[in-house]
Amino acid sequence: MLELKNISKTFNEGTPLENKVIKNLNLKINEGDFITVIGGNGAGKSTMLNIISGAIEADRGLVLLNGYDISRLSENKRAPYFGRVFQDPMMGTASDMTILENLTLAYGRGRTRSPFRWSTKAKDKKFFIEQLASLDLGLENRLNDKVGLLSGGQRQALTLLMATIRKESSIASFKKIHGKILSGYDNELYIKTLDSFVKIKEEYKNKKKEIRHNKSLSLSEKKEAFINAYNEYVSKMNVADPTRQILLLDEHTAALDPKTASKVLEITDKIVKENHLTTIMITHNMKDALKYGNRLIMMSKGHVAVDVSGEEKAKLEVNDLLELFSKASKDDYLSDAAILGD
Amino acid sequence: MIEYLSSLPGAVSLGAIWGLMAIGVYLTYKILDIPDLTVDGSFATGGIVAAVLITSGVNFFLAILIAFLVGMLCGLVTGLLHTLLGIPAILAGILTQLALWSVNLKIASGRANISIGVREFDVIFSQTNIPDTLWKMGIVLLVIIVLLYVFFGTELGASIRATGNNPKMSKAQGINTKMNIVLGLMISNGIVALAGALLAQYQGFADINMGRGAIVIGLCAVVIGGALFSKIAKNFAVRLLTVAVGGVIYYFVFQTVIFLGLDTDMLKMLSAIVVAIFLGIPYIRRTYWVRFKKWRDNRKLLKEAK
Repeated sequence: MLELKNISKTFNEGTPLENKVIKNLNLKINEGDFITVIGGNGAGKSTMLNIISGAIEADRGLVLLNGYDISRLSENKRAPYFGRVFQDPMMGTASDMTILENLTLAYGRGRTRSPFRWSTKAKDKKFFIEQLASLDLGLENRLNDKVGLLSGGQRQALTLLMATIRKESSIASFKKIHGKILSGYDNELYIKTLDSFVKIKEEYKNKKKEIRHNKSLSLSEKKEAFINAYNEYVSKMNVADPTRQILLLDEHTAALDPKTASKVLEITDKIVKENHLTTIMITHNMKDALKYGNRLIMMSKGHVAVDVSGEEKAKLEVNDLLELFSKASKDDYLSDAAILGD
Repeated sequence: MIEYLSSLPGAVSLGAIWGLMAIGVYLTYKILDIPDLTVDGSFATGGIVAAVLITSGVNFFLAILIAFLVGMLCGLVTGLLHTLLGIPAILAGILTQLALWSVNLKIASGRANISIGVREFDVIFSQTNIPDTLWKMGIVLLVIIVLLYVFFGTELGASIRATGNNPKMSKAQGINTKMNIVLGLMISNGIVALAGALLAQYQGFADINMGRGAIVIGLCAVVIGGALFSKIAKNFAVRLLTVAVGGVIYYFVFQTVIFLGLDTDMLKMLSAIVVAIFLGIPYIRRTYWVRFKKWRDNRKLLKEAK
């Protein structure tokens, strides 16, 4: 689904501070992968993630999404394909805006922001409350609180939610976001998806008509039924979309205390499993890297040193990992072990 | 004393006009988190455009509208300098402001000031009729505040607020931050130019120097409004209103210090000092005040230990 080809990146090129962070990096990420990435300081983990999301442009190489090169797209144009959570809990949310407003911003990712539509809509509110309730942090009652009032853990959990929700309901936006990428790569899939979208939309329209003409319902019941039908429609559209976004997590629990960190990681795992998201998670904790995900990548000096997945990964233990790492990079074994060791 | 009291209604209407300008400053300074110095130029541009149009027989309403659009153009220039050429926002504003001085002279066909006689021309309001000015100014403020409230509640408006609040997050959420910054600067300078157009009509003339120090007066109104009403004003519309009220209070204070016998040459110095104090208070509270409290507490602990 996502492929990095011959990526290179040098910071401060031509100066005494020259730093070759990424050297000829090749990586293929398959649909449904949950990859944990480990590596010492300066191994190029964060830079790799930033190159994928577009925050940093690579000097050389291609970033292929479903076969289409996105390496020249700006950060905000790539946003619809990637949900991101940063290390700093302050970074992922707008602190002066309410929880509701933040969620709404994330929900509209990849759509044109219109000056003629209200940003917060009643029919989205119910969906947000459901999603917040599933985090089990009591945030569902605090929709109108400023995000600045939340704790670091709560903010990371909210950012995680924001990174995974995205409105996918309109056919026009699907065409706009994915049309170019998918139609060039797999035209059949593109047409099939559009067909199923049209069908789901038809169903939704019929259901709305049914509710409208149903005389046995009271006004408030009708409203409730409308909202339910809408939410069902949105989730159906989401399931029907083949190019769901990729989740990029850049040490998102590093700034949290151990208890909160493990809670946020549990939430992460739950969200990833429920939504079948393709995920890349950088972590500095070897135990977490082994516990979560189906594939483990170890980076060293700007390239992938170890890449294990499936059963092989499930069998690994921390000691095996250290051994693998020392084999892969003899020179910086000591320093990296010191950093990575729990 | 009577002289002082009779000058107060005038101070209120002047304050309301500058308060409107301060709303423009608020949009960049607080919402976009960019101190935009273009306003010193665009305020005068608004006044001069309106004066030239009105003296050549254009309807005052149309003249105000055109002044607004020209102000937006000024903001566009600053925005493009900042986003396309990567010039720091403050410097971009200064450059536009400097260029506008020449532009203003050209618009005024080389004259340093243009008078708009109330008897000769039809104007929206004038200082010869203050009650009339007051209610009209009230309506203008109301309309602008309602429009801004509605706009910043829309999807686009919310994305502009997010851009000012956290640009990194905004980009990650697919918001075109550069476009939003340009848009915000345009709206802000449009409002500033509109205020300039109103002031020119109120005082009966436009002057190419009328915008000098506008940013400081605007900031003054923003910080006064913020300091006095921050606890009450949670709602965005109310907060905009407090900025306008801040402008009124600013002119009230001015009228008072003039009455108390302050040299009018010192007025700009006074406003600079007021802004410096208000902008400095949060920092003082964060650092020196906290240190002082710690020192005091520690002294108490020491005494108890003894």
